[in-house]
Amino acid sequence: MSSEPTGTNIEGESPDAEPVVETDEATITDDAELERTLGLSGGLAIGIGTMIGAGIFVFPGLAGAEVGTAATVSFGIGGVIALLVALPTSELATAMPKSGGGYYFISRGLGTLAGTVIGLSLWIGLVFATAFYLVGLGFYALDALALLGITVGASPGGIVSGIAVVAGIGFTVLNVTGTENAAKLQNGIVALLLSMLVAFLAFGMADAVGLVDAGTPPGEARNVWAVGPIMSVAALVFTSYLGFAQVATVAGEMKSPGRNLPLAMIGSVLIVTAMYVLTIFVATSVFTQDALAAAGETAMVEIGRALLGTPGALVIIIGGLLATMSSANASILSTSRAIYGVSKDALLPGWASRINLKYGTPHVALGLAGGPVIVLAATRQVQLLAEVASFLHLIMYGLMCVALIAIRRDEPAWYDPDFVVPGGPVIPVVGALASFGLIAFMNPLSIGVGIAVIAATAGWYFYYASDIRLKGAL
Amino acid sequence: MSRVLVPVEVLDGKTVAPGLMSLLGTMDVTVLGYHVLPEQTPPDQARHQFEERATAALEDLSEEFRAAGGAADHRLVFTHDREQTVRRVADELAANAFAISGMTGDVDDLLVSLSGDVAVDRITDFVTELIGDRDIDVTLLLAGDPEAAADDRLETAGTQLREAGIDTNTSTAAGSPFDSLMDAAPTHDAIVIGEAAPSLRSLVFGDEAERVAAASVGPVLVVRRDQAPETTDP
Repeated sequence: MSSEPTGTNIEGESPDAEPVVETDEATITDDAELERTLGLSGGLAIGIGTMIGAGIFVFPGLAGAEVGTAATVSFGIGGVIALLVALPTSELATAMPKSGGGYYFISRGLGTLAGTVIGLSLWIGLVFATAFYLVGLGFYALDALALLGITVGASPGGIVSGIAVVAGIGFTVLNVTGTENAAKLQNGIVALLLSMLVAFLAFGMADAVGLVDAGTPPGEARNVWAVGPIMSVAALVFTSYLGFAQVATVAGEMKSPGRNLPLAMIGSVLIVTAMYVLTIFVATSVFTQDALAAAGETAMVEIGRALLGTPGALVIIIGGLLATMSSANASILSTSRAIYGVSKDALLPGWASRINLKYGTPHVALGLAGGPVIVLAATRQVQLLAEVASFLHLIMYGLMCVALIAIRRDEPAWYDPDFVVPGGPVIPVVGALASFGLIAFMNPLSIGVGIAVIAATAGWYFYYASDIRLKGAL
Repeated sequence: MSRVLVPVEVLDGKTVAPGLMSLLGTMDVTVLGYHVLPEQTPPDQARHQFEERATAALEDLSEEFRAAGGAADHRLVFTHDREQTVRRVADELAANAFAISGMTGDVDDLLVSLSGDVAVDRITDFVTELIGDRDIDVTLLLAGDPEAAADDRLETAGTQLREAGIDTNTSTAAGSPFDSLMDAAPTHDAIVIGEAAPSLRSLVFGDEAERVAAASVGPVLVVRRDQAPETTDP
């Protein structure tokens, strides 16, 4: 097994491989150093900031409408699967703290075909996820307009699409031209959201168990305690758990990666799982299934109104806008990392990762992220967008677990993770089975779209890059 | 020999004034070429595209420093955070000072600020070594209420510099350290200040050194504090 990638793509470009030394503070190449600037709080903000928008602000209504309080179990299952994958991902990330995250681990563990499929699917999966967050943002913006007393006439759906598209264009342009450091802003938004939610959930729990009476309507959601529906809701809401893999895409920029990467990934999964389960419990205690179904994507606003009146609705609307924006922005950020990781290995043309001289931003990669996002956001298909994003991520999660097992078996000389998953192969094996297994509970249309994407990316490999060898290379 | 770090934003066409190069001719110099990236851009991606150009520019700069008399090498860093990078590299090299470049011709008059909570010994030693046997005059400036200064730092430092054969004036001012320094700056070619302990004020108004550099036209040399033994983040 060689220790350097070899081969060329059909344009004659070969992978850009340079020997590097990783320290806690920088990556040192022959002629340059790459400063690691993200701390633990920055990593947690990316993980939590990406995840919380979907799980708290979009899904409670949709999930509660399907199975009632049993949706707490669906969210719990999602959290357990995410944790089963976050542990192996942490081990891989501490051994390979590089840009590109899941793509990098899989291409090195399982070879170029799997790598190309996952690298390109990660890009497209992030595009679907971003479009989903933007549609969520559109629904919250619509509610905000309603609260301000602005009526939108006959086609609220069109307004949602319009807002989602405008926001998509706005985020793309901001990311290409914005040189202000938004990371601190993102940290602040996440801290604000978490404190708002803790206060809100504490009050909601007190109401749910009868400690205080906010005058919420009597009656609870009818609960569907059956395996099939609970699992299919788990498959739908799994989009709420995609963020920890986004932490891995910025692994090359984390300070003390051996410590901070596992803490950021595992910590963000544990924190959001707790928040989700509590939120859905409160939501289904306040409203019946019919009411949740009627309120749809922004059911949380109605729950805020029922618990605390108009101020409650206002808090949730502001929270929903901030959370969906932070999810969309963090995803666009990881998408450009994902494209860079693939293009660096010559699986995409080198121009895909060119940097704009004026702004210093990767404008091609950001355009490749933002363009399709805008098209998909216009469709307003919340469930389809969420499930395809989850499908593509779940394939990656399953293969990351397999890659961990393969790399441990091959034991390349450079493989020296700071964090090792305990229990031998048990956790990665269960993680892989759970990831692939959850796909079976998805809507057939979502599965079809997902398979089409995988087939297209595999086709790209055979057309463009079948000569490149990445397995076992660092 | 003491080492001075000279950070240069290398890809923005920034360069180092010839006067600063010859002033640092008595020192070991490390030119720190850096390029600050927005968070959308992975540093590795920028390296891929800009490394060659940046390295060529840095080699030219180091060569100019060597031609001006000193020993010089260079490092190149791609970063999201300029301050973190300067601090890290200065620590790694155990650099005694870093330079903030500004416009100047030959340096004949050096303004040295001893105001505030700074390491006077380190500043005096640094200035003595910097000037060596060259014909550069020094003005030592102490701002603030002279009665409040418990030590006689101005006299001690003045005596030490004069014993080393340096033409030294001392001067006190009643205003704030920053304003007094700016009042005296126009009649001097370069400024030496000490790195202040991080304070609430520096958090609110930005680093003192950065404010001095922004307000004065000439170069600023910042003498670093004695670095506490490395406290590693667990």
